[in-house]
Amino acid sequence: MAEVKVKKETNLSDATEVENRIKQLCQQFPHGITDQVIQNDMPQLEPQQRAMAINKLLSLGQLDLLRNSSGLLYRMKDVQSASKMKGSDNQEKLVYQVIEDAGNKGIWSRDIRFKSNLPLTEINKILKNLESKKLIKAVKSVAASKKKVYMLYNLQPDRSVTGGAWYSDQDFESEFVEVLNQQCFKFLQSKAEVARDSKQSPMVQRNSSFATSHEVWKYISELGISKVDLSMDDIETILNTLIYDGKVEMTVIAAKEGTVGSVDGQMKLYRGVNPVIQPTGLVRTPCGLCPVFDDCHEGGEISPSNCIYMTEWLDF
Amino acid sequence: MTAQEVRLCGLLLREHFGEVVEKVGTHLLKGGAQNLRTIIHETGISLDLVKKSLCVLVQHGACVFRSGRKGAGSPTEYQTCCDRILRILRYPRYIYTAKTLYGDTGELIIEELLQRGHMTMSGTIKTVADRLTQNMEEGRSMDYSEVSSAFFRLVETHFLQRCPPLAGAEPKDSATPAAPAPPGTPAAPVSTAPPTPESFPDCYKVPHVTLVGRGKRQLASEDGEDQRNAKKAKMDSQTHGDEGICWQVNFERFHLHFRDQAIISAVANKLDQTSSEIVRTMLRMSEVTTSPTATCTKPLSANEIFRSLPTSYNIPRPILDQYLTLLIDDPMEFVGKAGESGGGMYVVNMHRALANLARATLESVVQERFGSRSARIFRLLLRKRHLEQKQVEDFAMIPAKEAKDMLYTLLSQNLVQLQEIPKTPDYAPSRTFYLYTVNQLPTARMLLQNCYKTVANLVERRLFESKESKRLLEKSQRIEAILASLQASGAEPEQLTEVEEMITAPEKQQLEALRLHINKLDSAENQVDETIFLLESYINSTASTSLLNDIDGVRLEGQTHIDLDNASRAGH
Repeated sequence: MAEVKVKKETNLSDATEVENRIKQLCQQFPHGITDQVIQNDMPQLEPQQRAMAINKLLSLGQLDLLRNSSGLLYRMKDVQSASKMKGSDNQEKLVYQVIEDAGNKGIWSRDIRFKSNLPLTEINKILKNLESKKLIKAVKSVAASKKKVYMLYNLQPDRSVTGGAWYSDQDFESEFVEVLNQQCFKFLQSKAEVARDSKQSPMVQRNSSFATSHEVWKYISELGISKVDLSMDDIETILNTLIYDGKVEMTVIAAKEGTVGSVDGQMKLYRGVNPVIQPTGLVRTPCGLCPVFDDCHEGGEISPSNCIYMTEWLDF
Repeated sequence: MTAQEVRLCGLLLREHFGEVVEKVGTHLLKGGAQNLRTIIHETGISLDLVKKSLCVLVQHGACVFRSGRKGAGSPTEYQTCCDRILRILRYPRYIYTAKTLYGDTGELIIEELLQRGHMTMSGTIKTVADRLTQNMEEGRSMDYSEVSSAFFRLVETHFLQRCPPLAGAEPKDSATPAAPAPPGTPAAPVSTAPPTPESFPDCYKVPHVTLVGRGKRQLASEDGEDQRNAKKAKMDSQTHGDEGICWQVNFERFHLHFRDQAIISAVANKLDQTSSEIVRTMLRMSEVTTSPTATCTKPLSANEIFRSLPTSYNIPRPILDQYLTLLIDDPMEFVGKAGESGGGMYVVNMHRALANLARATLESVVQERFGSRSARIFRLLLRKRHLEQKQVEDFAMIPAKEAKDMLYTLLSQNLVQLQEIPKTPDYAPSRTFYLYTVNQLPTARMLLQNCYKTVANLVERRLFESKESKRLLEKSQRIEAILASLQASGAEPEQLTEVEEMITAPEKQQLEALRLHINKLDSAENQVDETIFLLESYINSTASTSLLNDIDGVRLEGQTHIDLDNASRAGH
């Protein structure tokens, strides 16, 4: 009898002891511990008791349950974050977990519903709750302006959501892009002119008229016209628009890994070019630019004989 | 023949040959090959006039005749092709080119031949000598031998050629029924068409002509008599040993020259003067060795180029090599390397250069018509072939709303096409990819038709303006005639001023404005003709290269595999 009693008492004390022991183990291994580790530490513990202890810790919110390739991991939860969740119920914790998992890309409310299997009304209530507690925030996505994604309060939204350097408050900053466009072009053009005036051998002339994307990036950063920090990729997108304007051409050369500005052993070089032909003959006549060209025929309302554009052009 | 081409041909025929020829010509253009009776019946013009119009058309090479399709006994059929008539638009350019290359003598020879269509050598030389003498001072005249030497030079460089002998006298190949041109032949005319002048061995052989003398100065005579004399063919009793051998202007050769000039000026614009001189040398060296339809010249070694450079350009050999390397590296690919022997073998890529020039023309049209942002989108699509709407916005860095607007405008003008790629067999819009694309060749064709319409508009406007002020023009002409006659007969200054005052000041202003308008319209026609030339050369060059490359099945220019990678990356 006494043995039973003793056993029971040891069981009870064992339970708290087990929990403490598990907590200590967690603190020892901040990356997390597996079932195996707990078993090795307390070989006399039955699996049922172990499970009970772990469940208690989980429900108290002191332990985090993770899964990795080899099985389940238990990790000590941050005391601070544990305190945050005090007073919230399980559903809120679940939603919070889901949002946290989404990282800085944020997650849409419908996706939260899929992941947590909670009804929409519940979700909305919980989201409002969490927002008022300042645990999460809503960020408007630039792709679809009506869509709101939720992410943790203190995270920076990812570039794909806000659009990166070219967007400020969901608005595409076209004047900013234009200014950068012109500055880059002027830089490349002046470099080409300097090279042309230097009157050296043609090969040297051409090579000195090239500018790497790194140089352009440095020039633009030093100009200081940008409020946000621009990366080299941003500058390359601007330079690409100049290529599509037909003002600049690009070549790629192989570069040693160590040289400044090389990416994967390549460097992109840009230089300003002149247009190949003058504006073509067709567009020097009013017909080439006429908005009603297709409606014009002899004897109609709009005809060459009574064309007002022609009259203006002839009197010019 | 498209409607626009027929309209333009009609206007050109009316301006140069009159309304009757216009009627007959347009009827032939629209109706294909017809015999005499059909023409008379359908146009309602008398037999006499129809015969004369056909004579005029044949004389200028616009119409060809051959025996009927139904067999040897059926009446001859006449057929017109609008290409030849559209060349009339380019006459001023031909004459100007001849002037720059061969001076006034060359200019007048070409002008005479263009006006007359076909002419014998002796006839040409005499007429040109007379005209030159007219413009010289009193007591001097032009020697026939000078004009002959200019003529020889023109024939040597193939700017002039003999007219082919009549089709009736020719071996069977001209009369065989239509057989499809075997694949693999270069762009040669179909066997039913009359043989080209080049297929005759004597094409550029100058006949031995006895022509001694000097040009005659024409005596001052009444205007009416002058006109009559000019219209009548000068019946000369002298024979010079070249009867029956008529000469005509070789338009193809002029076109090759224009094409070379376009390439050289493009190189000068893009790179610098020295590179364009090198390209000019290369083209000059391959003038006679390259066929007109070739895509690139024969390979030339760097040593040869170095030797043939004009002596004014004192470039040392290594610098020349550097220039050639730069030309090869240029993304426009004007010059290509074909081997390493002889210090490097280089070719001029004519087809590529023409394609690039045509592309620049298209881009310039879009830029002037729709603005530089639309031009950015257009160039982007030309480079990347197929793009979704979102990708267009991202690459071009244009806000979404504006990009959408511009794309739809370009789409409505047919400059940009939409390619649908369905995910499901039922083409449901929500489950289909829509990709924007630009096809260079069809767009070039469309712009060419627009050019024809534009020129026709300009010509019509010019005729309209002259018609409006016809009364005024006639009055001014009368007054000038009176003035001239008064001056010739020696009148006092008061009489002259009195006559001059018959034209009031506002009328003078009106005349001046009219003159300016007509000049402007004329020069605009020439400018549009330059665009027409570029686009036509590109289209012909592409057609001939694709015919050469056609091995199994049809491969159209501009149709490439769709970049599914890109499409799926943007996909949903």
